[in-house]
Amino acid sequence: MSSSNIIKFLIALAIGVSLGLTYGWVIAPVEYTDIPPNILREDYRVDYVLMVAEAYQGNFDDAAAARRIAILGSDSPAEITASALDYANRNNFTQAEVQDLQNLLTAMQTYQPQENPLP
Amino acid sequence: MSRLLRSALFQFSLALLIGLGLGLLYSWRISPVTYVDANPAILRADFKDQYRIAIAASYAATRDLARASSRLALLGDADPIAELSAQAQRMLAQGQAFESVQPLAQLATDLTQGFASNPITPTTFPIFNTPIIEFTPTKTEDAPATAEVEIAGTSAPQPTVSFEQTPLVPVSIETITPRPTFTPTAGPGAPFVLVNQETVCDPGMTRGLMQFTLQDSHHKEVAGVEIIVTWNLGEDRFFTGFKPEVGDGYADFVMQENVVYNIRIVTGGSFVSNISMPTCTDPNGTSYPGGLLLTFQQ
Repeated sequence: MSSSNIIKFLIALAIGVSLGLTYGWVIAPVEYTDIPPNILREDYRVDYVLMVAEAYQGNFDDAAAARRIAILGSDSPAEITASALDYANRNNFTQAEVQDLQNLLTAMQTYQPQENPLP
Repeated sequence: MSRLLRSALFQFSLALLIGLGLGLLYSWRISPVTYVDANPAILRADFKDQYRIAIAASYAATRDLARASSRLALLGDADPIAELSAQAQRMLAQGQAFESVQPLAQLATDLTQGFASNPITPTTFPIFNTPIIEFTPTKTEDAPATAEVEIAGTSAPQPTVSFEQTPLVPVSIETITPRPTFTPTAGPGAPFVLVNQETVCDPGMTRGLMQFTLQDSHHKEVAGVEIIVTWNLGEDRFFTGFKPEVGDGYADFVMQENVVYNIRIVTGGSFVSNISMPTCTDPNGTSYPGGLLLTFQQ
């Protein structure tokens, strides 16, 4: 194979790679359908924490609140709630919503999970 | 010349295909698009269930139906009310407590009727600081002992109680626990009584369907009433209100042929025995299993 043919081959190869990447990343990217909540967009995550905070105001069940927040990732419920509260403060949430999140944060900071008894 | 051209075209196509394959391999397998800002509609089914529970729990506390509805819309369900009802039924079938299922049923019911109804069963109460009342009787020479009571705690206003007391009563410390104000709950009330039993002959309906309608004294359907159906081989328990599209006080059960059922309405303790599947006859004279409509009223 002459050098010009090699160049043509490489050019064709590059074009093929470009087309493949365009198709795979832009035209038909991998579609996710069964995602875990930890990759939810931040505003959805915060709204979820707010729901938990509102429910907590109704029942004061810190164990249920911690369990619900835990599905959002490996951070502690207090850290996740603190992050949500920070977002709420930066995005003009209502005073009542901020207060609910603050109350939940206080509860999560003092929450001690019950240990399961050993068999 | 043409051979040369064919060879060049072949090489070009081959390189293009190889490149395409490499590009797809990289973009689909090695480094696919990563989702970091996903929306709740593509959550895994079990996480969607958790999301609905959080929505219903929040709604139970805030009674903000419009917000609950818009949150449910984020999940992208074709029929959010049906999904709520189905999830409530699944949770009951899994043996979860009715108290944990009720917010879902309540939200489904309220969405169906279009307004927020009164909460039914708040199960926990706020924590109160318990004031400790200490009283120290003091005795003067001429007058009987006077007990001065001091209340420690945060409940306001802090009453100061003074009363006359005989000197022989020993010094003691009493603790008074204020009771929280209870939200009215759907108590047992009057028992439900079977006021109507009707045979339903509809060939298009589920065979042997026993339908329940439970109403209060004002003929308003009542949700959340437990019904127990027993027969010689088993028992089934279910609640009214999990098919709000039919009615808040509606529940149903499928009977089998040649089985005698006993029905107990847990609230109020009403009991109906010897219920069995009726037989209907179509216009051609053919018999088929019919259904029953039982109406109970307080």
